[in-house]
Amino acid sequence: MRKRLGLVTVLLVGWMALNPADSPGGKPMSTILIPSPDSPLVDFRIEFRVGSIHERGGQEGLNCLTASTVAGGGTESLGYQEVLEAFYPMATDVSVQAGKEVTVFVATVHRDHLEAFWDLFSALLVTPRFDEADFNRMKDIQLNYLRNVLRSTDDEELGKEALESFIFEGHPYGHSVYGTVRAVESLTLDDVRAFYRTEYTRDRVTIGLAGGYPEDFPKRVREALARLPGGRAKPVIYPRPKSIHGIEVRLVEKPGTATAVSLGFPIGCRRSSRDFFALFLANSYLGEHRTFKGRLMRHLRGDRGLNYGDYSYVEYFDEEPGTVYPLTNIPRNQQYFSIWLRPVAHRHAVFSLRAALRELRRLADVGLTDEEFESTRDFLLGYTKLWGQSMSRRLGYALDSDFYSIDRDYLGAMDRALRELTLEDVNNAVWHYLQAANVKVVMVTEDAEALKQALVSNAPSPITYEVEKPREILEEDEEIATYYLDVRDEDVRIIPATEMFEM
Amino acid sequence: MVRWQAGPLCALVAAAAILAGAEAGMAEVFPYPIHEEILANGLKVVSIPYDSPGVVAFVTVVRTGSRNEMEEGLSGFAHLFEHMMFRGTEKYPQLVYNDILDRMGADHSAFTSDDYTCYHILVSSEQLERVIEIEADRFQNLRYTEDEFKTETGAVLGEYHKNNSRPFQMMEERICDGAYTAHTYKHTTMGFLRDVEDMPNQYEYSLEFFSRWYRPENCVVLVVGDFDRAKLMAAMRKHFETWKRRDFEYEIPVEPPQTGEKRVEVEWPNPTLPYLYIGYHAPAFDDRSIEMPALDLLSQMVFSSTSALYRELVIEKQLVEFIFAGAVDHRDPPLFTIMTRVKDEKDLPVVERRIYEALETARRERVDPARLEAIKSHMRYRFALGLDTAMSVAMTMAHYLQLTADPQTVNRVYEMYESLTPEDIQRVAGTYFDEVNRTVLTLRYGGEG
Repeated sequence: MRKRLGLVTVLLVGWMALNPADSPGGKPMSTILIPSPDSPLVDFRIEFRVGSIHERGGQEGLNCLTASTVAGGGTESLGYQEVLEAFYPMATDVSVQAGKEVTVFVATVHRDHLEAFWDLFSALLVTPRFDEADFNRMKDIQLNYLRNVLRSTDDEELGKEALESFIFEGHPYGHSVYGTVRAVESLTLDDVRAFYRTEYTRDRVTIGLAGGYPEDFPKRVREALARLPGGRAKPVIYPRPKSIHGIEVRLVEKPGTATAVSLGFPIGCRRSSRDFFALFLANSYLGEHRTFKGRLMRHLRGDRGLNYGDYSYVEYFDEEPGTVYPLTNIPRNQQYFSIWLRPVAHRHAVFSLRAALRELRRLADVGLTDEEFESTRDFLLGYTKLWGQSMSRRLGYALDSDFYSIDRDYLGAMDRALRELTLEDVNNAVWHYLQAANVKVVMVTEDAEALKQALVSNAPSPITYEVEKPREILEEDEEIATYYLDVRDEDVRIIPATEMFEM
Repeated sequence: MVRWQAGPLCALVAAAAILAGAEAGMAEVFPYPIHEEILANGLKVVSIPYDSPGVVAFVTVVRTGSRNEMEEGLSGFAHLFEHMMFRGTEKYPQLVYNDILDRMGADHSAFTSDDYTCYHILVSSEQLERVIEIEADRFQNLRYTEDEFKTETGAVLGEYHKNNSRPFQMMEERICDGAYTAHTYKHTTMGFLRDVEDMPNQYEYSLEFFSRWYRPENCVVLVVGDFDRAKLMAAMRKHFETWKRRDFEYEIPVEPPQTGEKRVEVEWPNPTLPYLYIGYHAPAFDDRSIEMPALDLLSQMVFSSTSALYRELVIEKQLVEFIFAGAVDHRDPPLFTIMTRVKDEKDLPVVERRIYEALETARRERVDPARLEAIKSHMRYRFALGLDTAMSVAMTMAHYLQLTADPQTVNRVYEMYESLTPEDIQRVAGTYFDEVNRTVLTLRYGGEG
């Protein structure tokens, strides 16, 4: 379970949505409602189509800082401390999730407090205080997250962030949503004010409400949010991500007891694509997140005990805190395929990379059998039902569907699509999108130069066990240990962790 | 998976009627009917109908955690055993067991803490009897070879390394090791690294571990959601009543009172802001005693986001990034811990001093009744906001079942919160926060080389 620490929560998590329909002048505010009159709770997700892609060069991290200063600050009439005191007896707060494409403010409140809560929440959004002390507090947290937390204390997140930056080098997705140390250091409160004024506009808001709210409540929400700044979003140009030649590697060097591995490549498939659910099923077969269903998990952890977990993804993924389910409201116009190996012993790093690539190539070459297809479909038909258990999650999915312009009932649409899929659909999607030849790899490790030599030399990386293993595993190990790695010396770059996210 | 234990309480649940009732000092806080039955072999079955159409949570609480690891050199075994439970039986080998649950689309996993191990499955209601059958089978007939055992210890070592790339695991490990001399809370649930590394050699002990603790009298089965109770109980009797008791007798070493402040310095190999982590020995959980509930409210009073200390250190002077404190309910005396991340190492002494002064103020001055009422409201609504799915209801109840095996404990605890007075809070502030009772850990970057 991920541990969340005080105000860091504000930076790392959060959501809430509003759908204004009454925006003066601009396009109508989009409103997504999931009423549940008997529920004692009301969920808010107020989403802005604003993300790190809207930051100018040199201001990387500005959206995150703006969002956290709004959610972790005061209103025109109340300071931050007074806001905390008002929320405290309600046992609620406002969290924010600042992403690449969208930023969403999230809260859940008991209906006993709905009116008082909304008065305060809407004031935070519409008339943020932008106090210098609040700004400094949030800036410190963001800088520390970049300098110390990501670089030093969370190798798995470090690997994931480094892989995204690598895959999307030179692209609007190419920097962390937390920005760079150099840029965040230079940001001022005036930058935050200006970004809020030009980007957090009423034409970019989507209102999401779920639960036991009164009938006229959505109208009041729309009216309140109509007071957001006016303006028009400038279109973002999405270049094609750089093509990859062979296995390109970044080794992030830092002291540590194990090596974290992430790898991937861009794919031209997202939720609105015709092939999405076919590819989704194939990926579940390869590496469904935090389950023993996937081949990667069964072969790397189950058969060989290499690490704690091994998963794969066909869209940008984060985990909903406290669950193993996908976080909602992190949509992307461009997606990438990735494999995540949880830390492995340094001596098994090359073997584990080879094992993962070999599994990927096997899938890309031969696809699924009829039995594998049917069992994965059966699994997903049941498992994905669990993703919509809470109202807040259903609301999150509905907002994402709005982003992708697809059926608002995403899980329902998934159920129908899965039932209609054929093995041919799935394997056609596999053959079209997946491959193991041109891949970017990030490894967070201790002795990067030695690892580089091991990769470039293509020397066999045999594995030994202290226990008897079945002959089929040992035979497979021999193939894995000599799996050809198309890594050229010039395609391996070593970066000390202390230099990551610097500029 | 090893569960982190942070904050004074697990997130809890609620509903409107309950809250109104609590305010009137009348109704029980837990808003759903609770049914409790005990099978002939001593296995307790707690079932709770909850509005989750077509979905049910099936949870087995084994009231054994790292607390029960009494033998030297064998820490971390409860957690390892959680892994072993997925290795299958003769009837349902690992792949078959997983395939059955996968085809149901079940979400199934487990976690281990100091006091218990929890196996949880969320599945469609129509599959409930089948789930009962395969769970009853693995709790009675688990089988694995020595080689399979050794392979799984590799995954556990991997989990240790995963956790240890973050400072929290290291701090937890070191403060427990420092604060305790005799009790098994001296090691964390993950265990000491030396013991985790030695696990491959402990196959025989693993068989004994299963035989001791995976017994009906030491477990509670909890079912929450959409189910037919008559069918549930018929299936439980059919599949679980063959499980044999053992009534293993054991004694956990008692921790003697601490007699002087202890200090622990931890060097972190990579750049980090310094952490200050302070632990005081606190009382064991007892659902007839106000000690832990009073400490929960005290932690809110002194350390929550609306406290004077938080205002000073986080908001005004901005000396620390965050601060939080509390004790998690435990069967034996746990630590009440205070954790903060300090922005500048030179401020460590002043932050530490201000924490002690805030506790001294709580000892000297009674909390304002209006402030106490706000704290109680916070506790009630936090409980209410946490009960939004069948599994969250189950996890809330599991927390109390592992402590006492009594589902009414949750109601007793929240009744105690409501009844607490400023004098109660002041008294616990004066009881547990002496200098001689504390262990102070600092973690900071060790520097180049």
